[in-house]
Amino acid sequence: MAMKIGEKPFFDRVDDALEDGFMRNAMAKAQDGLRGRKLNATVGDEQIGDWEEWRSAGEEIRRHTLENLDYYLDQLSENFARLGGHVYFAETAEDATRYIQEVAKKKNAKKVTKAKSMVTEEIGLNEALEEIGCEVYETDLAEYILQIDDHDRPSHIVVPSLHKNKEQIRDTFRDKANYTGTEEPRELTAFARSQLRETFMEADIGVTGCNFAVAESGTISLVTNEGNANMVTTFPETQITVMGMERLVPTWNELDVMINLLSRSAVGQKITTYVTNLTPQLEEDSIDAPKEFHLIILDAGRSNALGTEFQSALHCIRCAACVNVCPVYRHIGGHAYGSIYQGPIGAVLSPILGGYEEYGELPYASSLCAACTEACPVKIPLHEHLIKHRENYVEKKGMTGEKMAIKTFGIGASSPALFKLAVKGMPAILGPLVKDNSITSGPGPMKLWTSVREFPAPGKDNFRNWFNDRGKGRE
Amino acid sequence: MTAGTIHNKEQFLNRITSQLGRDRNRQVGLPEWQHRPQLDVFSGASVNELAAAFKKNSLEKSTFVVNTDKANLAEALQEVIMKYGGGQVVASKDARFGEFGLDAVLDNEKTHIWDTNRGQENIEIAKKANIGLFISDAALAESGTIVQFNDKDIARSISLLPTVYVAIVPKSTIVPRMTQVVQAVHQSVEEGNNLATCINFISGPSNSADIEMNIVIGVHGPVEAVHVIVEDL
Amino acid sequence: MKVSLFITCLSEMFYQNAAKDVVEILERLDCEVDFPKGQICCGQPAYNSGYRKDAKKAAKQMIASFEASEYIVTPSGSCAAMFKEYPQLLKDEGEWYGRAKKIADKTYEFTQFVVNILKVEDLGATYPAKATYHTSCHMTRLLHEKEAPFRLLKNVRGLELLPLQNNYDCCGFGGTFAVKMAPISEQMVDEKIRHIEESTANVLIAADNGCMMNIKGRIDRKGKPIEVKHIAQILNTRVEGRV
Ligand code: SF4
Repeated sequence: MAMKIGEKPFFDRVDDALEDGFMRNAMAKAQDGLRGRKLNATVGDEQIGDWEEWRSAGEEIRRHTLENLDYYLDQLSENFARLGGHVYFAETAEDATRYIQEVAKKKNAKKVTKAKSMVTEEIGLNEALEEIGCEVYETDLAEYILQIDDHDRPSHIVVPSLHKNKEQIRDTFRDKANYTGTEEPRELTAFARSQLRETFMEADIGVTGCNFAVAESGTISLVTNEGNANMVTTFPETQITVMGMERLVPTWNELDVMINLLSRSAVGQKITTYVTNLTPQLEEDSIDAPKEFHLIILDAGRSNALGTEFQSALHCIRCAACVNVCPVYRHIGGHAYGSIYQGPIGAVLSPILGGYEEYGELPYASSLCAACTEACPVKIPLHEHLIKHRENYVEKKGMTGEKMAIKTFGIGASSPALFKLAVKGMPAILGPLVKDNSITSGPGPMKLWTSVREFPAPGKDNFRNWFNDRGKGRE
Repeated sequence: MTAGTIHNKEQFLNRITSQLGRDRNRQVGLPEWQHRPQLDVFSGASVNELAAAFKKNSLEKSTFVVNTDKANLAEALQEVIMKYGGGQVVASKDARFGEFGLDAVLDNEKTHIWDTNRGQENIEIAKKANIGLFISDAALAESGTIVQFNDKDIARSISLLPTVYVAIVPKSTIVPRMTQVVQAVHQSVEEGNNLATCINFISGPSNSADIEMNIVIGVHGPVEAVHVIVEDL
Repeated sequence: MKVSLFITCLSEMFYQNAAKDVVEILERLDCEVDFPKGQICCGQPAYNSGYRKDAKKAAKQMIASFEASEYIVTPSGSCAAMFKEYPQLLKDEGEWYGRAKKIADKTYEFTQFVVNILKVEDLGATYPAKATYHTSCHMTRLLHEKEAPFRLLKNVRGLELLPLQNNYDCCGFGGTFAVKMAPISEQMVDEKIRHIEESTANVLIAADNGCMMNIKGRIDRKGKPIEVKHIAQILNTRVEGRV
């Protein structure tokens, strides 16, 4: 299924979303909750000092790491392999899934458990594994909910099932899994626990994403709350980790900073319940640790951003803080973006990974309010990236209709003469349309404005004349 | 040790390098970071202040906290086990239990001490156990977190499978935050040591807020957690 | 103190009254106000829509117009923020970068100028009403001015300033966003109006013409009995009426 969600064009997806009252309520409620929690754990937690310092620390670490990405990936892969792990550099999603299929076949794997991971969603790993006859089990509660609901798609990078309310989840559990309980979250959660408990033990392969890899030691760091990632990496004999190539830090010291930024920004916790750091190790006769380790390092379009003005988009640590404050996401939810990466970061990243043909509209789905930029724990200038995308898109497409709209009425006129002309001409042009001091139905490009709201009547005086004359008549 | 394999590295990294517009195969050193707020957290705090913060933050994460000293530890531990319903206990194999005078408490038919010789049976016992007991290797004041350096004896299952985890937290091991632990790990890496296969930071019982942002305690890991802070200074 | 007024295109076309209030207040505070004639639109609509070249042209025209000014003051946080963007916009244009930087450094949004430069917080205004204030995104997040309007409004006699739920959420204007993404923008402004109504205010005060045009346009369309005022209009009101 990969990165793309749905086949409909953008505005149809938006219409669908705007009609979905359940979803929109869920989104608004979740945003308000997550926002409050994040503020309490960041600017509101005096234990950790100045949050801005933390953001600056995160930014400089990410910048340095991405500037030297080849060096650190080299180091990471050498360390991972030195300890007995296997590293596969995958240029495309297909390369990655093919490799993982081969591993699964070689291990004769039947059951695969998965911890939450957007990158495996991006490469369509579940389908690839099912294709070769594996049973794949999503174990993160949100992913589990989506999976049993006929593979519904994620609407949020941290809480993929955010668009569903508890009644809908109860009904899904009833229809698909013979659940007989109520819509109480506690009961629903207990059901998922009981359903998955044995599966964890029986699985042949455990698949995880990667919050951060540590180059100096070949360590994979997983940041979770439910304990499922621990189950997935403790009992199966083989551990497969898929990471976006940008998700690493040089040393443990930098890991510390990034974990703090991620935990607090994503879920408003001082630290998530589990921060699990896994390093390959073959010598020990451990009973409850994997014996084989694979690390897949994925490009899949990421390198498009390297060396361009979009490079800092790769600084992203997938905390969704930008999503949680985005007023556009608030109303249209995740699926309308048509990508598993939604909200501001989705609108920046999806065109980089998937191209303008597919995702060219997303950068326009923003009022450039900059709430995202303000929220981002690693200071990615998200709204500026959106503008940059628009520039590229305009260059490719040359949008004359819109350009006309901008130029109309002198907004955007770049010479004083034209501007003055427009200002002067305004009352004459708009005058006939004015009723009760505003315009209800405008022509041409104004129509889109007046479809929603009144357009103001042009002022009666000429300000420049007033300014020049104002001294007169005094005293 | 047999080394693993690496596929497609050169081609992959060369593309990155050319995108970045420079040469490969350089030595890269870490810069002097301009921003290091992590060093200031609880800087200069006394052991008692750290212990108090650790307690407060543990409680915030739905974790029960007991304060005791070495002399009363055995008794306190018994009380905790009773309070949480007794039953099967699974404990890590750890010489420090002896140092804390706990051998007697652990020597009973309801307590299983992890034994690699008994293979899978350990997991079967842990799965059914009510209580998982271990000694924390470090603790973080800022977040009420305990740290485990797992190996074959300090098995991962112990803090993961039983309904309740009980961590003994020597007061001397409480540090301000993750920063101090990663510094030690980093140094160990620099010295060329192999790391524990799993270094786990655990803060209370497992939980999820995936359903309408309601926090539910107890998902795939433990449902309850206890931190027993022991005066050891 | 010499102040050049950057009136902004929306203000010049639609909201002259607020601009007049700005001039009157500044003059009352002993500023010598001039109006550079070459000024046009700051180029933000073009810039935000991806028309960088057009934006640059506008920027250069504005720089030329305001170069001689001591202080540049504008009744819009968003337009002030655009001036601050000029150096970045013209960073590859040789000497223009330095010129842009100078302009950016002396530009202030009106309330920001009054509070931070003139050091005045009480303008002697009286406005008996229940009101709430719309914090514009560009003023708070790009210009980083979160306090000045509140300091001034606090000293308006008779004004009861009520909190606005979710005040940090954008009203849905976003320049061309309002037309290009009209259905989404509509939902955003509707939620904003819902929160305004819930505040029980009769008057919405704002310091950005774009937001005002959007919110007022929608309020009027829905026939809600809420007045929308520019902050300068409130601050220039006195019991005796205007001079
Ligand atoms: S862009 Fe920033 S705020 Fe958004 S998900 Fe990435 S790191 Fe978090």
